[in-house]
Amino acid sequence: MLAAPVLFLLTVVVYPLVYAIELSLQYYRLGGFAGLHNFLFAFHDRLLGESLRATLVYVVLAVGVECVLGLVLAVAVQRTVRSALGRTLVYLLFIVPMVTPPVAAGVIFRLMYIPEYGILNVLLHGLGYPGRGILWMSSPGMAMFSVLSVDVWQWMPFVFLVLFAGLSAVPGDVIEAAEVDGAGGWARFRQIELAYLRPLLLLVLVFRFTDTLRVFDHVQVLTMGGPGSATEFLSLYLYKIAFKFSNLNYASALAIYVVIIVSVVFALTSRYLSEEIA
Amino acid sequence: MRPPAIRPAPGGPPAEPAAGAPVAAPGRPVPARRVRTRAGRRGRLARGAVLSALGGLAVVYVFPFFWMLSTSLKPTRELYTQPPTLWPVHPTVAAYRTALVGGRDWILLLNSLIVCLATVGVALSLALLVAYPITRLPVPAGLRRGLLSWLLSLRFLPSMVVVIPIFATVRAAGLYDRLLALILIYAAFSLPFAVWMLKGFLLEIPMEVEEAALVDGASRWRAFFRILLPMLSPGLLAAGVITFALAWSEFLYALILTATPRSQTFSIGVWSFVTEFEIIWNQMAAMGVVSALVPVALLLLARRYVISALTFGAVREKA
Repeated sequence: MLAAPVLFLLTVVVYPLVYAIELSLQYYRLGGFAGLHNFLFAFHDRLLGESLRATLVYVVLAVGVECVLGLVLAVAVQRTVRSALGRTLVYLLFIVPMVTPPVAAGVIFRLMYIPEYGILNVLLHGLGYPGRGILWMSSPGMAMFSVLSVDVWQWMPFVFLVLFAGLSAVPGDVIEAAEVDGAGGWARFRQIELAYLRPLLLLVLVFRFTDTLRVFDHVQVLTMGGPGSATEFLSLYLYKIAFKFSNLNYASALAIYVVIIVSVVFALTSRYLSEEIA
Repeated sequence: MRPPAIRPAPGGPPAEPAAGAPVAAPGRPVPARRVRTRAGRRGRLARGAVLSALGGLAVVYVFPFFWMLSTSLKPTRELYTQPPTLWPVHPTVAAYRTALVGGRDWILLLNSLIVCLATVGVALSLALLVAYPITRLPVPAGLRRGLLSWLLSLRFLPSMVVVIPIFATVRAAGLYDRLLALILIYAAFSLPFAVWMLKGFLLEIPMEVEEAALVDGASRWRAFFRILLPMLSPGLLAAGVITFALAWSEFLYALILTATPRSQTFSIGVWSFVTEFEIIWNQMAAMGVVSALVPVALLLLARRYVISALTFGAVREKA
């Protein structure tokens, strides 16, 4: 009974991975065994370096901002919004952006960021911002900000909802006992709630790290990696190498590096993760 | 049957609302004398701050959707008025008509529908084939744990990594630009969370239900179809809805494995509006509205399970 699904996954997911190893060990166009040529070439690839730097900035800022904002908001809402109706409203507010397709989220923000029509520049103009407003998608710094803002907008709610659910699981009598003992808000967070949240924080961090590392969809809609290579993250760079330059060999080698990174993260955390999940 | 409500004695104090009843209760009951202390005032200040932050966030989350909807309802002429109108003066569905009915994109809508439904069918059948034995049959614990953790690890596999060899494989197999390729791949990648979800639902159905049927002489097969499957239907529905929504939203594989309207999905249709030389904003917005509407509507139905599914059951929530 188990054989069918396992066989299915082996052909659709695992076979391609093996094939990627084979591709990565061959010369581009010429074929033939290339040894580690493709893997070593990565160290001389200047564009890869730029892409890695952009990816690092993106991952660190997106994961950091999402986790901090989500955590602060979860604690704040847990303590102040007590009514069932209020909590349902907050839940609905945050579940909708999360289930919006990333391509649609890209369209939504594209409409806000278009220089002439975009509502943001109109607002800025109204506030007396000089000139024709900000070039949200075509100046390097702002392009990074724009793609980051979509990620935070879509996925801070995920962090919030997970941690909020975690806080709701803290037994009420534990909190009350602490309050009787005179614990203030900060002590209550540090000494009780954080202990309950720790496994969920790890889960959120791992999920957001692996997801931001492979970010593709909304960037493709907003900036397509530009201007220049300012937002050409790892997946967009791989896409270019593999499908614009059709160098599947080098792209496979880079892909294998990514698998190694993600596997290490997974191996380090999976014990704690599956303890939490199972 | 509902337990009889406890009525207050005549003339006595009114009964307190039951716990969890949707009644707006402003905070936990606080003894009146504590309200005027410094802590009380700070509490109210903090409450005000949080509520206004939530109000600000509501604007940040609702306005972008509103702006997309408003743009999609504008006639092309009105796109260029300065300053832009907040809500169209002459709302029209012309953009939807041109993009969907007149254009080629209704075919993409149909493609997406076929792909999503087929993905749900394949993924749920395969997921049952895993979830049933590991919860109902005597499977070695090591195998069960190994299988589940292997499935979990697939969740973290970056799609851009497998997409390159998958592209080569699909082309070699003659499945390039075919819906079948997308269906198989979407099913494979939604299998992990479908298994985890169904496993959770199966564990909540007591073994005794099935055992009773087996004792009565029903075959395991019959017990599965007649007894277990109907009891599992909420789980199947929730997992199906989420699988459908994820397949609907998928973009990268569709971008790489399709080339023509024969197999392109709706996500590709949305994206192609962005790449055109001169973007027709109202049509792009109309496509965005349709693209967002489908999963949002579906997942509001299954909203209790969204977080649980996305975290592989680590979070059980109620809403």
